[in-house]
Formats: sequence, structure tokens, C-alpha cells
Amino acid sequence: MQSLLNQIPSFFTYYNVMLLLWGIGSTVLLTAAGCGAGFVFGALIVLVRITKTIWLLPIKIVVITYVEFFRRIPFLVILYLVLFAAHAVDPTLSLFGVAVVSVCLLATAYLSEIIRAAIESVQRPQIEAADSMNFGFWRTIYEVVLPQAWKVLLPPATAFVIMFIKDTSLASQIGVIELMFTGKILANRSFSGLLVYSVILICYFVLSYPLSRLAAWMERRLAAPTGTESQRILRTSAGFAGYQSYG
Amino acid sequence: MNYTLQFGVVFRQLPYLLGGALITLELAFIIFWGGALIGLLGAVGKTFGGPKTRRLVNVYVAFFTNTPAFVQVYFLFNGLPDAGILLSPFSAAVIGLTVNSGAYLTEIQRAGFASVRRTELDAAEALGMNLGQSVRYVILPHIMRTIYPPLANFFIWILLGTSMAALIGVEELTGRAVNISASTLRSIEVFIVVAGIYIVLTLIATAVLYVVGRIFFRVRMRVL
Repeated sequence: MQSLLNQIPSFFTYYNVMLLLWGIGSTVLLTAAGCGAGFVFGALIVLVRITKTIWLLPIKIVVITYVEFFRRIPFLVILYLVLFAAHAVDPTLSLFGVAVVSVCLLATAYLSEIIRAAIESVQRPQIEAADSMNFGFWRTIYEVVLPQAWKVLLPPATAFVIMFIKDTSLASQIGVIELMFTGKILANRSFSGLLVYSVILICYFVLSYPLSRLAAWMERRLAAPTGTESQRILRTSAGFAGYQSYG
Repeated sequence: MNYTLQFGVVFRQLPYLLGGALITLELAFIIFWGGALIGLLGAVGKTFGGPKTRRLVNVYVAFFTNTPAFVQVYFLFNGLPDAGILLSPFSAAVIGLTVNSGAYLTEIQRAGFASVRRTELDAAEALGMNLGQSVRYVILPHIMRTIYPPLANFFIWILLGTSMAALIGVEELTGRAVNISASTLRSIEVFIVVAGIYIVLTLIATAVLYVVGRIFFRVRMRVL
């Protein structure tokens, strides 16, 4: 324990701190890329799933299979799969690229479920009313569904971003230089693991705690009139919102 | 791209992989029930405890839900030896993931407590139910209806989450997959098969949980 305290001054040198900051930036970038792509593709998937046209059926089946399968594979296995598959297809793809691809694959699957839950939370009569007023598909989405759905969407989506910040720590295993990997580097430089990993834990906490407060705040502000207390806790707290299958 | 997939080598190792799947299930069970116990304590503390207990539980939940489970496990396995505590990979994974899931399960069970309304308890009392009866007929059905779907989902989440135990050397499904890919160099095939096993495992778990929920708690979970 004494040696641990002695290490602290030599731990927080300029270069180590820069390394940690680099790791934080990289983690944020990875999360942002994954969640950004996940939102776009997830929204596309939801659009495909809620349309009723028959000729989209094959795409629908593919899309549902994709979502159901990728929500049932651990992120680690997806990472390994993408890593080895990428090496077979294109050996020049960087490790960061591999991580981005696998993050996008996973985020798309989960976020599409979150978006779908939000859209399905809009009550049926609302859409029927829009139908009876001869609104088109896009107009219904834009003027009826979205204004009501985004309130339900935001808190679990934020909770999901938190989950993703945490999940990207697994990417350190294939050698992507993000926050956890910088921790491993520092631990290899003979700093005490106790010290290094405590610092890493604190860094992750600093990254995701504000977001979790934001999710709780949004849930209180936006969905308070309709949601019960227990729904509110469930939709924001956990940060594994994508795994929830209730509407 | 001139890579041909050859599954033969992997399929010969299937019993070994399925043994790993069994360890994965075992880990998931231990972690889930351990976490549920911690979560019950936490939820009781947060709902009925004084300000100090509540703050303690809040800190616990905030810390463990806002830091990666992987880093927590890694901390236990690679950090604690410096403090003189040596843990085996299996126990490090179990302890780390149990404490981690305990934080989530605290929130889930707290949501269950929050779903029981004061007026319903009053109604039960007005009907002359004693404590046992009101727990049996009023409180538990409410709590279970609220928390059964998230609990079921959380079990699936733990089932997938145990894969990170492989990274500290527990030979469960993913760990064994890494072993096979190292010895046969058929990495893509191994991980495709393992992904398939995970999908089948979670599908079975979902089906079982759906049926149990339907029969015992009259909960209709959304499946697709």
C-alpha cells in the first residue's frame, strides 16, 4: 500500500495523463461512431419493419433476423468475428476500423429495438386517426409519430450510449488503443495494477455519470405525465435498455 | 479474398465447446442469483432505509452501473494482487460480475417495489388480509408482473456478459473458442459456431423464461 502511494507522483506525469486523455478521446470517438451509425441504420431498420407493403417482406425477414441474432451474440464474439473476417477480406483494415465496424453492427441492432419500442409506444388510435385524415406514410411518421415518440426514445437511448461507452472497453482486447488499453499499457510499465485500474474506473465513471444523470433528468422532464415511477426507473437506470423488450 | 471456410475441424471440437457452454450457463446462474440477492438488499435499503443507507446504495449503484464490468473484473484480477488478495480467474469473474449485476438488479427490484401502490395495501388491509396474505395476493403479483420481463432480459444479458470472463482466463464458451482458434487457426469458423451456440442458448433461455412467466406470473412478454 505504501509503494502505491509512492507511485502516485510518478504516475501523473504529463505523458501518462496525455495517454489517458488520448484513451478517453478514442473511447468517445468509438462510442460516437457506433451510436451515430446505429441511430441512422437502426431508424432505417425500423422504417422497413413498420411498413406494411408486401414487396419489402424479404428485406424485412433479413432485417429481423439480423436484429434478433446480433442481440444474442456477445460483443466480444462479434469483435473476434469481425477481426478475423476483416483479416480474410482486407488485411489492411486497422484495428480501430475493426472496432468501429463491430460497434456499428451491435449498436444498429440494439438501437433499432429501442427506436421501435419508442415508436410502438405511440398509441394505435393516433395512427388510425392520421390514416382516416388521409395522411400519407411519411406525413404520419413526421407529424404524428415522431413528436410523441422522441420523448420515449431519448432516456433509454441515452442509457444505451452509457452501455456502449462501457462495452467499448472490450475492444482493448483486440488491441484498439482506447481507455482500457491505455490502462493496460500503464500497467505494463510496472505501475501498480491497483492504481492504474482505479484510475481507469474513475475515468469511465467521469465519462458516463453525467450521461446517466442526463437520462434520469430527461425521463423526469419528458415522460413524467404518462410514465409510472417503476417504468421510469426501469427505462433509465439500467443502461442495458436495449436488452429490454417491453414497449 | 481466397479463404475457404472449413467447419470440419471445429465440429470435431463441438463437445468441448458445449462443455464450455455449460460453464457459461453455470456462471450465469451463480451471477444472476447472487446479484438478485444483493439487489434485493439494495432495493430494500433504498426503499425503506434511512437517508444514510439510501445514499450508500445510491453510491454503489451509480459506481457499478457507470463503469464497465470488464474493467471491474480486470481490477479484481489484476489490481487486487498488489493489495495481497489473489483470486482465481473463476472467482474473480464471479465476484466481479455478481457485484456488478447486483447494482442493476437493485434498480430493477426497486422498480418492482415502486409498482405497489399505497392504496392497494390499504385495500388489502380493509379486506382483512394479514401481512402474509397481502404479500401473497397483492404485493408479489404486482412486483413480479413489473419486474419479470426486465429480470428475464437481464438474465440473457448476464448470459452474454459472462463471455468477458474469457479475458481473464476462465474457460467458458468464449474462452474455449479462443483456445480452439489458437490451436487450429480456424478462427472465423470457430467464432461463427460459437456465435451460433450463443444464439441457440439465449433463444432457449428466452423460450423457457417466456413459458415460466406465462404460467407462474401471467406475464406476457414480447418476444419478437
